[in-house]
Amino acid sequence: MAASQEKITVYNLADLKNTSDDAIPNYLNSLGFAQSHRLTDVRLALGYSAFALAAACFAWDYKFGFDSTKQFTAAAVALYTLLNGALTLWVVYVERGTVYVGTAPRGGETVRVSTATKKNVPTYHVTVEVTGKGGKGLETLKISRAFTEWFDGVGRFVAAPFQEMLAGSVAVIGRADPKRASKAREEGGVAPAAYTPEMLDALAQANVSVVGSAAEEATGSEAAGAKKASKRRKA
Amino acid sequence: MNFGLILSTAFMMWKGLSVMSDSPSPIVVVLSGSMEPAFQRGDLLMLWNRNLFSETNVGEIVVYNVKGKDIPIVHRVVRKFGTGPDAKLLTKGDNNAADDTELYARGQDYLNRKDIIGSVVGYMPFVGYVTIMLSEHPWLKTVMLGIMGLVVVLQRE
Repeated sequence: MAASQEKITVYNLADLKNTSDDAIPNYLNSLGFAQSHRLTDVRLALGYSAFALAAACFAWDYKFGFDSTKQFTAAAVALYTLLNGALTLWVVYVERGTVYVGTAPRGGETVRVSTATKKNVPTYHVTVEVTGKGGKGLETLKISRAFTEWFDGVGRFVAAPFQEMLAGSVAVIGRADPKRASKAREEGGVAPAAYTPEMLDALAQANVSVVGSAAEEATGSEAAGAKKASKRRKA
Repeated sequence: MNFGLILSTAFMMWKGLSVMSDSPSPIVVVLSGSMEPAFQRGDLLMLWNRNLFSETNVGEIVVYNVKGKDIPIVHRVVRKFGTGPDAKLLTKGDNNAADDTELYARGQDYLNRKDIIGSVVGYMPFVGYVTIMLSEHPWLKTVMLGIMGLVVVLQRE
């Protein structure tokens, strides 16, 4: 079973999001997508050049004293402000929460995945923008799933349902990973994003915890739809 | 990189303030009790070194470094001779019995306007005690660096 051995705190939204974000490049690169590091490169270039400028300012101030280097320092402060401002604008407006940019192995489409979460709500919002080869046609897909679908009760990340979610919803990824795509289709598509009130009542009466494998088995028998109770435990 | 940027932004803000006020050290800590009851040891002082509206006059509280020493001294101007950047100024601490002639370098009887690193334009009581503690107990610096190092290592980036 493809479950990682590291456990994270399931109540920490930042941990959930970061672990999921880290899994996306791993998964897509393993399918043969060619990742583009342009966004990261520009961000690092801006950040490190601003840092280098500050270091240079420190150095000449240390060596030559304040009075003789006043003009340089003034120029350095202005330039630093510009660089930092550019970096902030880049991260907020150009990157916009992008986690992965890459080209599909066979079709050559460009895929851009960005993710978001809302404070204290354990739902993972993924936005996938697919641009056809040569820049033609932009398709935007939004997927919103609960983190419970790929984290078990203890906090281990389970790769298969996460990959199924991506392969089943995004055609480009599904083409590159037919095994997961067909698995996603066979399970009837969209899984419920949260426990319904009836399920919660049933669980309370059955006196089991709401998260964890015990709950999954309990709700599996109550839930409507094609979901099998042991779906998440299967390899 | 983020941690480095935090450090460099803090440094650049300090330098920006320094350039704006035209003072090598726009924020200083009062180290002695020579200006009591106005300033106590540990107060943080904000300095301004540009004479935009009027020159540094008698009665202003100024900060200067004695030639050759790195310790900033905060005293009041009590005499002034001449005008402009070459004016000669005599200072005295409010709480001192005598003026600063003994504090100046050997053979120096007056301060030049150029020696002054700024006039006090504002202050915050007690905040500067952190700096005094750091310089009097250097092991505190190691502790602080250790904590910062831990934070960097445990962070995500």
